[in-house]
Amino acid sequence: MAETSEEVAVLVQRVVKDITNAFRRNPHIDEIGLIPCPEARYNRSPIVLVENKLGVESWCVKFLLPYVHNKLLLYRTRKQWLNKDELIDVTCTLLLLNPDFTTAWNVRKELILSGTLSPIKDLHLGKLALTKFPKSPETWIHRRWVLQQLSQETSLPSSVAKGNLGTVPAERTQRILQEEMEVCGEAAGRYPSNYNAWSHRIWVLQNVAKLDLKILLDELSSTKHWASMHVSDHSGFHYRQFLLKSLISQTAMDTSALQQNSLKDEPKDEEAAASTEEPRIDLTQLLEEEVEFCTDLIDSYPGHETLWCHRRHIFYLQHHLSGRCPLNLTHLSPADCSGGTLNDLHLIPASPQLSQAMEVDGLNDSSKQGYSQETKRLKRTPAPDSLGLEMEHRFIDQVLSTCRNVEQARYANAYRKWLVTLSQ
Amino acid sequence: MKLYSLSVLYKGDPKAVLLKAAYDVSSFSFFQRSSVQEFMTFTSQLIVERSTKGSRASVKEQEYLCHVYVRSDSLAGVVIADSEYPSRVAFTLLEKVLDEFSKQVDRIDWPVGSPDTIQYTALDGHLSRYQNPREADPMSKVQAELDETKIILHNTMESLLERGEKLDDLVSKSEVLGTQSKAFYKTARKQNSCCAIM
Repeated sequence: MAETSEEVAVLVQRVVKDITNAFRRNPHIDEIGLIPCPEARYNRSPIVLVENKLGVESWCVKFLLPYVHNKLLLYRTRKQWLNKDELIDVTCTLLLLNPDFTTAWNVRKELILSGTLSPIKDLHLGKLALTKFPKSPETWIHRRWVLQQLSQETSLPSSVAKGNLGTVPAERTQRILQEEMEVCGEAAGRYPSNYNAWSHRIWVLQNVAKLDLKILLDELSSTKHWASMHVSDHSGFHYRQFLLKSLISQTAMDTSALQQNSLKDEPKDEEAAASTEEPRIDLTQLLEEEVEFCTDLIDSYPGHETLWCHRRHIFYLQHHLSGRCPLNLTHLSPADCSGGTLNDLHLIPASPQLSQAMEVDGLNDSSKQGYSQETKRLKRTPAPDSLGLEMEHRFIDQVLSTCRNVEQARYANAYRKWLVTLSQ
Repeated sequence: MKLYSLSVLYKGDPKAVLLKAAYDVSSFSFFQRSSVQEFMTFTSQLIVERSTKGSRASVKEQEYLCHVYVRSDSLAGVVIADSEYPSRVAFTLLEKVLDEFSKQVDRIDWPVGSPDTIQYTALDGHLSRYQNPREADPMSKVQAELDETKIILHNTMESLLERGEKLDDLVSKSEVLGTQSKAFYKTARKQNSCCAIM
């Protein structure tokens, strides 16, 4: 069925209108999807709205996408004007079909800056795009820009606070935070080891929540069940490692800040006094609980390398704590994310130490164990306590004697070798 | 860690007969769900047809693992799970379900049964409960009597097929799959290459 360019234009305009109307009719649309449908049914719109799900029949995409894509580029190159509403509709359609089209996001940035487009609406579009494209890098990157805008716009009190003392995140921040955690959680569920989603989650904790201790603790407990049901999700477990590392570093900062404050002879007002009653965090206990959690999962689900990697990280954090050596924050960075940094992180230096700490990793070839970087750092630190090592060796023995899973045995042996290198 | 489908079939000659099935497609995008469900039916039948009586196997296809148990009396069960779900629990579940089914449904009904005629309602409950393997099967930490080495492992569906048989052909000829599902299969095949916008 050959379409003339006029027919295509008419069709596309109709489809774009249908999409806009669908959103107007149902503001609660929470998911988009493509419906495999090779041929159009006579005179029926390819836009399908069922419950709160918006579907696009696949036959129309080959007409729709190039047309709106071209339309936006003509606007961008100043060959054809589009008014604000047209821009919103066109970019919306485009991004629901291909959210990695950076230009469309950039047009929306301009609309936000000129006050035509509400940042919240824009975040909603991103959330929808992520239901179909949970990894989309451009969507996550753009999202961070919008969140930055929001925080500048309202100049949230948390951005002025010194450290985490006396910070009670404003209600709006809390809502934004909740929403971001939800969006990340959903995206993580839609694609295994969704690095982009989890990295975004980390960024939000660093830049929106400012690594608030209570929030870190909440996240640790609220993601526990998810982790236990996704035992090969390396990014999910890496998130827990980040939480624990941050709890360690933030507690240390609090302690030193507290010490500094007590040196000054300032009268403490009510708020400051109350804030010193920060949640008492027993780091040793938290780490022990994490080891127990890890052990439990290793026993229940043999043969998942992620769990063994997680164990190494926790062990490292534990002996690091007990070693009582001065905290070197580069060790505590999420630098073991292979694949490099979030390119846009430099836009907002969160706390100075953390932004420096995002090293680009992964340029070395990964060793068989993949921990050469960590091992080199570990060799510089004091030897781990022998009791901890002994317990780990006993655990390995127990696993090896009872497991029948070939991979489990391999990971257990690799872990033993790694432990041995620590004490060399 | 997810279970997507649990089915009971009869390994007839030459076709496998679906007797009862339970599905959980909630984790798939809304518009894919009916196609995914049809595919799981198609896959379950195909696997049972290509497995011998008295065997257990795990067939890997992309990120899914299909666990099949065909009893020597031709009663068969298939569990389709993701790759995290512990296979030992999957086989425990299959054993349990087939045992229960054979006690509740007369053998004479097996060769000619269908989901509409078969009186067995426990499947949905089992599927739902076993979504959390530790809750459903707390003893799974203890070594099961089942010898894991007797489970045949297939790395692809293709390895189940006869020489010259193509999965694409079986899909297009299938009566179980609707046109939308077949279209879905075609685009999914294409998607395995990068840069697909659809």
